[in-house]
Amino acid sequence: MSRGERAGDATPASRTPSAGHGFPEEPGDAGIRWQRPSPRLLRARRIQAALVTGPAALAAGLAVGLTVSLALGLGAGLLLVAAGLLSERLLARRVAAWGYAERNDDLMVRRGVLIRRQSVVPYGRMQFIDVTAGPVERSLGLATLRMHTAAAASDARIPGLDRAEAAKLRDQLAALGEAQAAGL
Amino acid sequence: MTSKAAGSSPAAADDFASWHRLHPLSPLVRAGRQLLTIVVLVLVLFFANHHGAGSDLVVNLLLVAVLLAGGVVSWLVTRWQVADGVLRIETGLVRRQSLRFPLSQVQAIDVVQTGLARVLGLAELRLRMAGADSSGGRLASLPLADAEQLRRRLLSMARAPGAVAAGGPAVTAGGPAVTAGGPVAPPGTEGASGQADDDGADGDGAADDAQERLLFRVRPGRLAAAIIMSRTGAIAAIVIAAMATAVALTGQPGVVASFLPFGLGIVLAVWRQFNGEYGTVVAAAADGLRLRSGLVQTTAETIRPGRVQAVRLVEPLVWRAFGWCRLEVDVAGPRQRRENRSESQRLRALIPVGSRADAAQMIGELLRAQPVPSQRAPRSARWKAPLTYHFLAWGSDDRYVVASRGRVCRKTTWVPLEKVQSVRWVQGPVQRRLGLASVRLDVAGKRVTASIGDREAAEAHEILRRLPGLASNARKRAQPA
Repeated sequence: MSRGERAGDATPASRTPSAGHGFPEEPGDAGIRWQRPSPRLLRARRIQAALVTGPAALAAGLAVGLTVSLALGLGAGLLLVAAGLLSERLLARRVAAWGYAERNDDLMVRRGVLIRRQSVVPYGRMQFIDVTAGPVERSLGLATLRMHTAAAASDARIPGLDRAEAAKLRDQLAALGEAQAAGL
Repeated sequence: MTSKAAGSSPAAADDFASWHRLHPLSPLVRAGRQLLTIVVLVLVLFFANHHGAGSDLVVNLLLVAVLLAGGVVSWLVTRWQVADGVLRIETGLVRRQSLRFPLSQVQAIDVVQTGLARVLGLAELRLRMAGADSSGGRLASLPLADAEQLRRRLLSMARAPGAVAAGGPAVTAGGPAVTAGGPVAPPGTEGASGQADDDGADGDGAADDAQERLLFRVRPGRLAAAIIMSRTGAIAAIVIAAMATAVALTGQPGVVASFLPFGLGIVLAVWRQFNGEYGTVVAAAADGLRLRSGLVQTTAETIRPGRVQAVRLVEPLVWRAFGWCRLEVDVAGPRQRRENRSESQRLRALIPVGSRADAAQMIGELLRAQPVPSQRAPRSARWKAPLTYHFLAWGSDDRYVVASRGRVCRKTTWVPLEKVQSVRWVQGPVQRRLGLASVRLDVAGKRVTASIGDREAAEAHEILRRLPGLASNARKRAQPA
């Protein structure tokens, strides 16, 4: 858990306008004001990764250690911890890739490192918006905002928003959606 | 069916406003499928082992009885009503449900007849709503004539409030209605013969049925040939070949038995497709496109104008040699229940198999303009999509976007810009290396996505920047000022 605490003293700034550290620029970015999730998202993701890796390593180590040999069990546990640490290296980049932009008629969301995605969802197409917060997110005062359209394939969500920010954005989007609503 | 039925059915017709029951024989129809399975099971058991079959028989008969009793109870507690532009269904004994279906939200209405229902002269009415998860309304079963009449009533009621509530579709409703007024087939020629061919699936043709204009009728011979030459046919050929080699290698015909499950599956798949698409007739009428099909189980469906979310033209390799193709449409609606899963995974085929001219005519009927996929993918896309590069292209005008791809099977998808729900830009690792990116357009419906595949990254960004604006313009145009 010490990793999570270290991340705690990151910069407190939220809603950083446009390119920050590790925020990959795209050629089409001109004129788009990207906003970023809260920096605490990284901590949330780290805690989540630790919560998966720790028990998994422990269980695998115990299972192998008790049934096969102690050395192998230690090895298996360490291997899983190493895998967790490796994925932690990628987490920072993945978290940094998230961004969203409120434009005049639509909301734009970008994410992904290996597979980069940008979604444009017109406000008038939003069917409903939900805000969820899992236990880890809740303990850090974060929430995930998800927009649903009539198309099942549309996938626009913004994780790691400040809870107040998420509520504000939700109301804002709902109002915009109502104003621009279009029939199917 | 008899005097009992006349009492419970709205034979007087014009008032659907009071509460009605379903047809008393509907439990039998509903149990039909399971009944058939059980009968087969009983027969198999009976012939397989003579001893002990007796007790199994009793168990099975008990099962049938329970099933029927459940059906009768569910029939007893189910009633429906049409009032104030809303279809209400109340059902359930233990868990009482009251369902409301606002007719202005109806996407399409189907009349479905299973084999048994057809023998009994019954039909099921299915309402397709827009929501992706909620199941639509089902009225199973009604006498066929009533079902037809109710469907007409519901559609006309759906259009009336729709003119106020759902502005977009109401405007487009003007299009086909006007064209239908032009070359109206007199009620003795092709329109009527289309119905006669359909084994009276349309019952006694009422006045507005005569206003239909026949657009397409599938040829049974060509359908059979096309299914044999499709993927299903290829799989069947492989299975048969495998069987033949197995028999030849071992010299024992008994090994065929191990292939039986595969064989049965194939036969079922072929049968389902043939049964579903046999005798497909598409006609334009004032209330939308009328689509009827089916050999044993018949389906009559009306697709309301302006509710088509996507049109897809599929040309498999072998079919291309004959100049055949398949035209599918996607209408917004729920992924259907489990029993209909095979249906719902495929899009509705307006043309199960037809010539290119048929398809072109039908596309002209569905879309007001027909852009062609003229912009080929850049050369570097060859490395990412060595096969599909062959037909990889897209095109657009101010109303539609069209995208095509494929090598073995060419798929061309038209999406009206006013229906676009969201636009996605995607770049995978290989694409990034090659300087490419894809843009996807999502529409409401069964996961149809027009994928503008593998464009230059800069062009993809340009598309992503331009399309939302075009789509919003198209939406504004579709809505009344």
